[in-house]
Amino acid sequence: MCAAAQEQRKAAATNVSTAGTDSVAGSTPGSALAVHGGASSRYEGEKRFRANCGRCHMAPHKFPPRMMATIVRHMRVRATITDEDMQLILRYMTE
Amino acid sequence: MGFLSVSLLQAQEQADAPKPVPVIIGGSGFITTFDGGEPHLGPLIAPVVLVPLGNRWLIESRTTLESDMTQRPGSSAFHGKVLKNVDYLQLDFIANPYMTVTAGRFLTPFGIFNERLYPIWIRNLQTDPLILPIAIGPSGASTGAMVRGGFQATSGFNVNYAAYFSALSTIKSGSATPLDSDRSAGGRLGIFIPNARLELGGSFQHLLQNERSNSFGFHGGWQPSSSPLELRGEYERSARGSGYWIEPAYRLSQVPFWQYAMRRTQLVARLQQYWVGELSSDSLPSVNTRQFEFGMNYYFRDGLRGVSSYGRQFSEMGNKNVWTIGVTYRFAFPLGHGDVN
Repeated sequence: MCAAAQEQRKAAATNVSTAGTDSVAGSTPGSALAVHGGASSRYEGEKRFRANCGRCHMAPHKFPPRMMATIVRHMRVRATITDEDMQLILRYMTE
Repeated sequence: MGFLSVSLLQAQEQADAPKPVPVIIGGSGFITTFDGGEPHLGPLIAPVVLVPLGNRWLIESRTTLESDMTQRPGSSAFHGKVLKNVDYLQLDFIANPYMTVTAGRFLTPFGIFNERLYPIWIRNLQTDPLILPIAIGPSGASTGAMVRGGFQATSGFNVNYAAYFSALSTIKSGSATPLDSDRSAGGRLGIFIPNARLELGGSFQHLLQNERSNSFGFHGGWQPSSSPLELRGEYERSARGSGYWIEPAYRLSQVPFWQYAMRRTQLVARLQQYWVGELSSDSLPSVNTRQFEFGMNYYFRDGLRGVSSYGRQFSEMGNKNVWTIGVTYRFAFPLGHGDVN
């Protein structure tokens, strides 16, 4: 992967929010990220990933971002994960 | 001005966010079972197709292809038919942060095993709990509509819920397993305390046909963050039977020796009991039954696992041993050749 593409991917991962997954009417995209910005957001994402995903299965490795966006949407429905947890988990899993 | 800034920020985030792509995930495995001394070979593959549509929609479907191969009298060869089953085929609409509307054929949200722990690559023991068919029947699925969601009630705990209506279905499609479901209505309500990693909940179902009976269920799960322990259990009661299972599992990552192997090793046990109800059921045991199982799983790498277990079943029909040994694998790949990054 070239340096420009790596930078683009890094930027996309940093800016990821609800949009690709569940940016829905009535939600507040970015609110969770605003509350939990930067390193704190990453810590929160990992914490919620382990708390929510660990309810059923071992933590999987990360998948490519666009696959992860689909899988997290599926898990939101299957495991009734909250909107905020889903946003933070997606961000953590695509960083 | 502030509103405009927020809108611009949201628009930027939407433009930069990863766009979901169609994906196939799922589990496969090969489990050998010795049930009362009779060997069974069980290959299985269960792909889940996920097709996102826009920002709010998702089509999801799981198909299971499996076989139960046994030896015929006088022959050492194993024979068995391939069973094909569409476990679910549903359309999800994420209406708002608190609610998703689902239509189609979906896994009945009664208890936690059927919806969340059933896949071969997730379950800690490969045998089904005795009480699994209570309220969900042999297919485990309903045909109709459902609303479900989860939200943070306070900073300390989350609430999750599901409510559904199912129509009677007796559809048969060629050699596939019938897409049957009962006419029923029900739901599940639970709480999850993230800091304690504790979840508790209950399920209810009212059958809208035949004897029009009610079924109840209670479930719990706990994964303390200070220890690699998992503890789950369910109790269910219906006119066709009742019972419970409780399942502790412990990853040996805190054992101070042979750490490379120990942190990949998981010990599991399950204690369960079933009592027959007033009405009979083809998918539940016909007599009171108790069963204890002990298992050991080894995680070779992400998604690939060796599984084994020994169980002893006690019932009026006679006691027997049940051994299992096998391998399970979880797979995930994009559907098509698009960019996944």
